[in-house]
Amino acid sequence: MSVDAKPTATLPQYVGARVLRVEDPEFLMGRAKYLDDITLPDMLHAAFVRSPVPHAEIVNVDIEAAQALDGVVAIYTAADIEANTTGPFVTALPRDEIMPVTRPLLASDRVRFVGEPIAVIVATSRYIAEDAAALVEIDFKDLGVVTNAEHGLTEDAVQLHDDVPGNNIAHIEFDSGDVDRVFDEAPHVFSKRFHIGRVTAAPLEGRGVIANYNPGADHLTIWSSTQMPHFARTLLAGTLGMAEKKMRVIAPAVGGGFGVKSCLFPEEAVIPVASRLLSRPVKWAEDRQEALSSSAHAKEIIMDLDIAVDDEGTFLAFRGNYVGDAGAYAIFPWTSLVDPLLAADVVAGIYDVRHVSYKVDSVLTNKCPAGPYRATGQTGGYLLRDSLIDDIARAMDIDPVELRLKNCIGNEPYVTATGFRYDGGSYAESIRKVCDMIGYDKLREEQAELRKEGRYLGIGVAPYVEPTAWGSKSAQKHGFPAEFYDSASVTVEPDGSVNVTVGTQSHGQGHVTSLAQVAADQLGVRLEDVKVLDSDSDTAVYGAGTFMSRTAVVSGGSIMRAAADVRERILALAGQELEVNPSDLEISNSTITVKGSPGKSMTVAEVSAVAYFGGERRGEVETLTSTRYYDPPETYSNGVIAAVVEVDVETGHVKMRHFAAVEDCGTMLNPMIIEGQVAGALAQGVGIALLENAVYDEQGQFNTASLMDYLYPSSNEVPTMDLAHLVTPSDVSEGGIKGMGEGGLVGSPVAVVNAVADALSPFGVTINSTPLRPADVLAKIEAAQAGNGGR
Amino acid sequence: MSVQETSTDAQDDLVVQVRVNGESRRGFAEPRTLLSDFLRHELGLTGTHVGCEHGVCGACTVLIDGEPVRSCLMFAVQAGGKEIETVEGLAKGAEMHPIQQAFQENHALQCAFCTPGFLMTVSALLDTNPDPSEDEIREYLSGNVCRCTGYVGIVAAVQSAAKKLRDQGGTADER
Ligand code: FES
Ligand code: FES
Repeated sequence: MSVDAKPTATLPQYVGARVLRVEDPEFLMGRAKYLDDITLPDMLHAAFVRSPVPHAEIVNVDIEAAQALDGVVAIYTAADIEANTTGPFVTALPRDEIMPVTRPLLASDRVRFVGEPIAVIVATSRYIAEDAAALVEIDFKDLGVVTNAEHGLTEDAVQLHDDVPGNNIAHIEFDSGDVDRVFDEAPHVFSKRFHIGRVTAAPLEGRGVIANYNPGADHLTIWSSTQMPHFARTLLAGTLGMAEKKMRVIAPAVGGGFGVKSCLFPEEAVIPVASRLLSRPVKWAEDRQEALSSSAHAKEIIMDLDIAVDDEGTFLAFRGNYVGDAGAYAIFPWTSLVDPLLAADVVAGIYDVRHVSYKVDSVLTNKCPAGPYRATGQTGGYLLRDSLIDDIARAMDIDPVELRLKNCIGNEPYVTATGFRYDGGSYAESIRKVCDMIGYDKLREEQAELRKEGRYLGIGVAPYVEPTAWGSKSAQKHGFPAEFYDSASVTVEPDGSVNVTVGTQSHGQGHVTSLAQVAADQLGVRLEDVKVLDSDSDTAVYGAGTFMSRTAVVSGGSIMRAAADVRERILALAGQELEVNPSDLEISNSTITVKGSPGKSMTVAEVSAVAYFGGERRGEVETLTSTRYYDPPETYSNGVIAAVVEVDVETGHVKMRHFAAVEDCGTMLNPMIIEGQVAGALAQGVGIALLENAVYDEQGQFNTASLMDYLYPSSNEVPTMDLAHLVTPSDVSEGGIKGMGEGGLVGSPVAVVNAVADALSPFGVTINSTPLRPADVLAKIEAAQAGNGGR
Repeated sequence: MSVQETSTDAQDDLVVQVRVNGESRRGFAEPRTLLSDFLRHELGLTGTHVGCEHGVCGACTVLIDGEPVRSCLMFAVQAGGKEIETVEGLAKGAEMHPIQQAFQENHALQCAFCTPGFLMTVSALLDTNPDPSEDEIREYLSGNVCRCTGYVGIVAAVQSAAKKLRDQGGTADER
């Protein structure tokens, strides 16, 4: 592997410290401005008319009554939007197996899921816009539905897109080693089917867009609740047919993303078109029903896995099949492959298996399009594989932790059968550590005792390797041939304070603090002298945004490089001023000192004053600013989640008792923020394992459009947690940093599911779907008692 | 009379007068205008957030006459004449309230969209129960959703805020 990551790090001072978030007071005082908090003079309000039916031809759209309503300014349908854009969203990837899928910005002749936008109303208030939306009359002709991905592949299935015959966006096969032979010869083959339920990221703040077109300047400002303002600008420039220099995209304070806001949605193009047509600012802030039914769903895959095992419990080969439920369109721009392909492609995990094959399909259905949600794809892939591993452990009467340790790779860098290069980790050590944390052996004793009383305690332990730092290399390695560009600028201002800008957006991850820690250490300045700016395409340098655990690596690395340049210039200037060789200088605490002569020093502010206003004293030294990019090699974090549950076999209720987690993301920027990320991901895992389900009935109607039906985990369901760290710096990335943030959701759902299965092992229950609500648990116990293993 | 007809604006609009964070405020509202919208868009107090508009998430929680209330489940006109406390009223200038300090110190916020609702709920909790157990805290907060933090930092922050307030001998309200 070519490595250009020479160690540029200086001795850490802030990096690795639990620095409190500098952005917090503004948020705590209620002063931060989220999308819907922004009001512009003369602003109008939009509401979308959405399809109430899952799959139909649009026969007629009657807007007359809506138009007549007092306060309605304009109503736009597909024809208006088509006439004012360069075309629909076309989601494609340069891979032969993948069919491009076209998504109109507003549906014109046909709708394909409940919630698809058909028209947009612009009015003087949101209340009026919503009133008017209810007055739009639409005649539909029913086209029949596909609500199950496997059914969508059958010959007589209803077809969703004329240009995607067979409803299959992609059929991908991977085969490495000698899989079929190994299976033929293996003493044991275990198989499992798992259907992970459909969920949605559901950040507490929904999507929203404000567009303000200024005809005098021919300039468009867009505020969007997005994870990727710069990249959104690039994509929208194409759709809107405008130069990027005439567009400014700002992500204001963003109330959570978790991947859903790393997509570009039709609404993000439609609202700017409306503003352009009206030459007035237009705001749209989605409501919860829209968020649940028509933003993006995630994770639903029907999966099968075979594992070949020898008599000692050594895994010999993995063979998987993954049928993803894409929904009605391929999410733009990432494609619907993000779930099934990543589920399949992480099948090796920490296990040392050289024979691996898988097949992947991504099937169109009449549901909300599926897109990225934290630990995209991986959540499902891990549910399948690690629940099967627990099944194997039970069948072979081996402790599930022992079985994992037996098959675990070593700590040194490792290339998987799927071709990924892990950059070293604490794969086995982290498992042992988590077992210590929960008192694994003691718990097993307690479990045995409790069973005598008719109480069912269960333990699930799920180790993971998380692909991070999604840049060109990671994306390509994982089957998404795309190029990424991420950069950072570091500028010392005249007073010696430092502005850092990055193209990754912070929506709760605390980048404004953790990236300032990186810059402060690299420059040798005080943390309070550094400000990090992101989220605005006009003021921050370009980057692809925040998703796939990438920011610490791509922005951290870019900052390290840019700050190294600036530091060199500070030292050069200081050297001139102090008449010493720059190599004899060091910077710390915003002060430059001469090694060995403590009396001689200068502050960074003094150096900066020379740089800006020192005239000829500057000499040949360049400006105190640098912009550098960083497109890192693949990096992989690892960790382990342990879940302890108690199941009430009378009610089916699963009580989460405790979580423990170990995270190893290499060099830690801020352990407090890392723990926050892990804790949040574990909570979401409780949702996926036990509560959350985006449900369609057989007619394609959406049944979970409110938070009464779509259940978030509350402080009552999320248990106490014990979080710990191991540190195995990357051997390839700048500073040894690995990304993190998603790992908790790679491993937590299966840890919980395995804990439930473990609790219910006396009943012979096999778990092959999520979520496990009380009724599901009871049904599985009943099925097991009826003698078919809970299937 | 805190709610009165007005002839100056659109026919249905009413003038609503409330006290918010100790100050008398007035604005227009339709009979159907939600209190959350009135606070946010009519009075410009956007610290109160809206996460669901159907009473589940708790992001819109404010205190009305000291009681935590979901402002998305109430019409603005129903709040006429009442005493409302919102997140904007917690800090004294740049000095954060002990609950706010505890939230920062315990990393109890990430995206912070839920945070104002939690702060108001916690302030009501600590007013009535200055030394709540972890179970009591989790139970009391279970009507407020946080999608980011897993509640770990929030629970710790409440414990630490409770201690701060006890140590300084005031209630959440009057410190
Ligand atoms: S916005 Fe009021 S409870 Fe969710
Ligand atoms: S901090 Fe994001 S929802 Fe609570």
